[in-house]
Amino acid sequence: MSLEKPSRDTALDVGVTEDGLDYDALADLLGGHVLDREEHVNAEGFVIRPDEVQEVLSTLKEEAGFDHCACVTAQEYDDRYESIYHLRKFDDPTQELSIVVPSPKDDPHNESAARVYDTADWHEREAYDLVGIDYDDHPDLRRILLPETWQGHPLSQDYNQDQPQIVSLREHANPLEDDKRSEDDPDTMFVNIGPHHPATHGVLHVETVLDGEQIADLEPDIGYLHRCEEQMCQQGTYRHQIMPYPDRWDYISAGILNEWAYARAAEDLADIDVPEYAQVIRTMSAEMCRIASHELALATFALDVFGDFTAVFQYGIRDREIVQNLLEDLTGQRLMFNYLRLGGVAWDLPEPREEYFEKIRDFLDDLPHKLEEVHDLVTGNEIFQMRCVDTGVLSKEQVKQYGATGPVARGSGVDYDLRRDDPYGYYDELDWNVVTEEGGDNFSRVLVRLREVEESARIIEQCVDLLEQWPEDDREIQANVPRTLRPDPDKEIYRSVEGAKGELGIYIRSDGTDKPARFKIRSPCFSNLQTLPEMSQGEYIPDMIASLGSLDIVLGEVDR
Amino acid sequence: MQSAPLPETLANLLELDPNSTVVMIVLSLAGAGLIGTLMMTNTALAGPWAKRKITAAFTDRIAVDRIGPYGLFIIVADAVRLLSKELIVPEGVDRPAWDLAPLIIASTALLGFAVIPMGNGIHLADPEVGLAYVFAVASTTSIGLVMAGYASNNKYSFLGGLRAVAQNLAYEIPLILTGASVVIFAGSLQMSEIVAAQQQSLIGPLPSWYAFVNPFAFVLFMIANLAEVGRNPFDIPEAPTEIVAGYQTEYSSVYFVLIYLGEFIHIFLGGAIIATIFLGGPAGPVLPGIVWFLIKIWGVFLFTQWARSAVPRVRIDQLIEIGWKGMLVLSLANLLLTAVIVGVTV
Amino acid sequence: MSSDQTPPAVEDVSTQEARMGDGADDRFNSTLREAFGSTPFILTKFDKFMNWVRGSSMFMLQFGIACCSIEMIHTYAIKHDLDRFGSGVPRASPRQADVIIVPGTIVSKFAPRMKRVYDQMPEPKFVVSMGSCTISGGPFQEGYNVIKGAEEIIPVDIHVPGCPPRPEALIYGVAKLQERIAEGESSPVTVKPYELEQFGDLEQDELVDKLASEIDEEDLVMRYNWNDSP
Repeated sequence: MSLEKPSRDTALDVGVTEDGLDYDALADLLGGHVLDREEHVNAEGFVIRPDEVQEVLSTLKEEAGFDHCACVTAQEYDDRYESIYHLRKFDDPTQELSIVVPSPKDDPHNESAARVYDTADWHEREAYDLVGIDYDDHPDLRRILLPETWQGHPLSQDYNQDQPQIVSLREHANPLEDDKRSEDDPDTMFVNIGPHHPATHGVLHVETVLDGEQIADLEPDIGYLHRCEEQMCQQGTYRHQIMPYPDRWDYISAGILNEWAYARAAEDLADIDVPEYAQVIRTMSAEMCRIASHELALATFALDVFGDFTAVFQYGIRDREIVQNLLEDLTGQRLMFNYLRLGGVAWDLPEPREEYFEKIRDFLDDLPHKLEEVHDLVTGNEIFQMRCVDTGVLSKEQVKQYGATGPVARGSGVDYDLRRDDPYGYYDELDWNVVTEEGGDNFSRVLVRLREVEESARIIEQCVDLLEQWPEDDREIQANVPRTLRPDPDKEIYRSVEGAKGELGIYIRSDGTDKPARFKIRSPCFSNLQTLPEMSQGEYIPDMIASLGSLDIVLGEVDR
Repeated sequence: MQSAPLPETLANLLELDPNSTVVMIVLSLAGAGLIGTLMMTNTALAGPWAKRKITAAFTDRIAVDRIGPYGLFIIVADAVRLLSKELIVPEGVDRPAWDLAPLIIASTALLGFAVIPMGNGIHLADPEVGLAYVFAVASTTSIGLVMAGYASNNKYSFLGGLRAVAQNLAYEIPLILTGASVVIFAGSLQMSEIVAAQQQSLIGPLPSWYAFVNPFAFVLFMIANLAEVGRNPFDIPEAPTEIVAGYQTEYSSVYFVLIYLGEFIHIFLGGAIIATIFLGGPAGPVLPGIVWFLIKIWGVFLFTQWARSAVPRVRIDQLIEIGWKGMLVLSLANLLLTAVIVGVTV
Repeated sequence: MSSDQTPPAVEDVSTQEARMGDGADDRFNSTLREAFGSTPFILTKFDKFMNWVRGSSMFMLQFGIACCSIEMIHTYAIKHDLDRFGSGVPRASPRQADVIIVPGTIVSKFAPRMKRVYDQMPEPKFVVSMGSCTISGGPFQEGYNVIKGAEEIIPVDIHVPGCPPRPEALIYGVAKLQERIAEGESSPVTVKPYELEQFGDLEQDELVDKLASEIDEEDLVMRYNWNDSP
């Protein structure tokens, strides 16, 4: 069964033992760099000096095999600022290590990790933008989510939310004069694609420099949907007030996948065990969300390549509508489900159960036929192949450098799926495959999504079988959870799940109250979008649009 | 099938002197008005209503059905509303090129109908260079597109205009070469001659329409025509998901109506050329010629809409490649082969 | 947050007046009407006809912001098919659109751009605001970066509440807008909008002085006084 991980090379296995990581060996590797060791729930944290970041991280990357910088969390304490680099391995994401970098309160700065991990570039810009830590030796430390002219850093302690702000609207008006970005090449033309543009899937702004029809330079400009999700979650109580927000990160009805990310982190933080029955329901509904999300990804990709609201787009929406109906029957909402609870789910399957199972089975029975139709119309079409094969190519190394995950990584042959590699829910009991493609181009990414829909259908089918046979007196949907949840102070956790777009991670630090002291979201789209310039350098505009479509970003999750 | 051009028919009908210049000018204008109105009616039906209904049928929808029977009154509503909108003249546009462009786009396509025989004597003029005239007029549209793109002072329009001209150059040549192969068959550029040449029987009841005589040329012509009128897979001058709306991005109100209208007239003109040189013009059993003619051009329109719904768009460089490396070579081969065959057999 | 503070009473403007802005809704008033001054029979009939026209057919702007845009897509697509009401043609260019559906949260960085897109649409234009975020900021109202409703940026004709509204709700909203237009009674609502203005025209204060080195005098800016938000 392909749920077994392929064997990996053993040269980089410092500290790897049968029962997890031996942190002492890792500490020995780093020698005197480790000032202190902290215990986080997910992994140990090594405290290092702010001016040794690059040295420590490259040692860990080169010699201990930590090739995935999953997330960079910045936060302000009463006495210091702190950046945490969450490292893991693409081969085995259960091997985790946090590198904690404190920096002084009066002048917060530490060395940037962007030279070691490309993905840290944007993550550190975000940390600078929201928390206000300066990163030395960063290639381009500017604000990323908030406008350039913003005053203050909103997630720092002394931020005054009521102060007025001025936001400028800069234009690049004349197409034919004074409109080149680079001095040495006078023939280029600068074009703003977005934030209002039919192909940017929301409010993404792509600053593009064109050389004829080809892209000479490109930079995604994000933040047009920065809705302060982290602030909202830090203001909400664990038990009830946070759960509605995850639905709105990746809003393409991947709601339950997102809720699960929060649920998993908070449950591990507070030591809550979820009943098995609830886990099966979670698994089933999460996979329905994945299908819905991939259907829309396909539909909008077709919109980008076919060029109008044509048949493929409409069929994608039509098929989604069926999944949404199933989810609505289960949760009561079409898009923002708010169905998961800490320790379980909100309620049991809808009555009469048989009817509901019947509906799901009908949907699953029709699915192969519909997928075949899609293959006929889309992937089998020669023009489509002409457009998508070998365009927007992303190599394995680029994927790992940028921390891309999900279908984007799997489309480039990186076999990384948290459902299998870092098992949660009921996935490890079920029979399904992780889909990978070797091409790394737009076509592979579309193919991965289509085949993942099939795998999700398999998972749902098995869950339905399980649920149908579940003894009636054992249908426990909710564990016993205190009315007001107050996790122990100063517990820290980074936990992630396989969202529709990739690794969706949550970092929570508790301070003993019923609200998190720091709530950081590691969004897969944020990291995936960083690969866009790599993919579209030198390609044509239509290919860039197609690449953007095949990345399947959701601005709600990119900007949070 | 040979009949007198429309002005003469009208003169005979009204018992006026066909040799008087004044009478003929007036009647020619009347005839032009008649044909223009006929085509505009078709376009009005196609643009706001039929196009929606056809697309809806391809995508399992209903589309307009609340306003009048089958939603037909949407034609009135759409037309009046668009005309009554505010006409925005953006800052920095290059007038009068910006104002002329929509006029050129709409009128050039309409001019082409002057030499198309539509059956039942609806045929404004029948010059000896009819086919050459149609191609000449139809390709003038590109000038309008470039003007629109360049004058709009908008980068997307600019890209769209340049794309339009590159595309038209690449596909105009195969289009004309394939048309020329028909001319070799018919031995004349005159539209009525070409139609007349298709009236004999090929095998049994099958008429010798050039689509049957040389299906290869027909297919080539259909593909080149899709590019000529800018429909999928060759709709890159507009390419809504790439360059917003291409050359028409900055146009609103009346000008937008003109461009929109021009596009549809252009599709119908493409259909009319195909019907005339490949499908026997107005020929057909039982029904009057004009009805057959309309059926044929609507058939071509349906085909373009079908392609729009189902086929992905090619990339600009691929389009040029297909045009210059594929279509041009094939159409040249077709022309030579036809010339040889016709030369040997006649 | 600002929502529970009373805005400073600067001038004596009733809520009603503040919501209506200056003058009546003149989107429909033609120059013909101005020339005639009164309401002769033929013009009344003509107005009625024009209202029917505007209410029967509209091009929508293809405009997606956030979560609601997913439901908006569903509204256009197969099952719900907004085009049945003659309003299902999405145009990518604002120059050709009549109605802008604002489907999602508006944040400080996007508001000037949205205002610009709205300004690019030709008159008469209508706005449907979709979802709680465009009414008040919705679930994100307390965010440091969130504009508390679309009305602070552009005038709004119809609000469709929900988070997100179901496609049926959006169809009802659009149908209601059509009905109101057809009866000639549409009046937009704006609450003290944030305007785009040249940086040089701003009142001098600490913030403006601080930014003077970063922003050119001619650059258009939008100034957010969060305390004045409703």
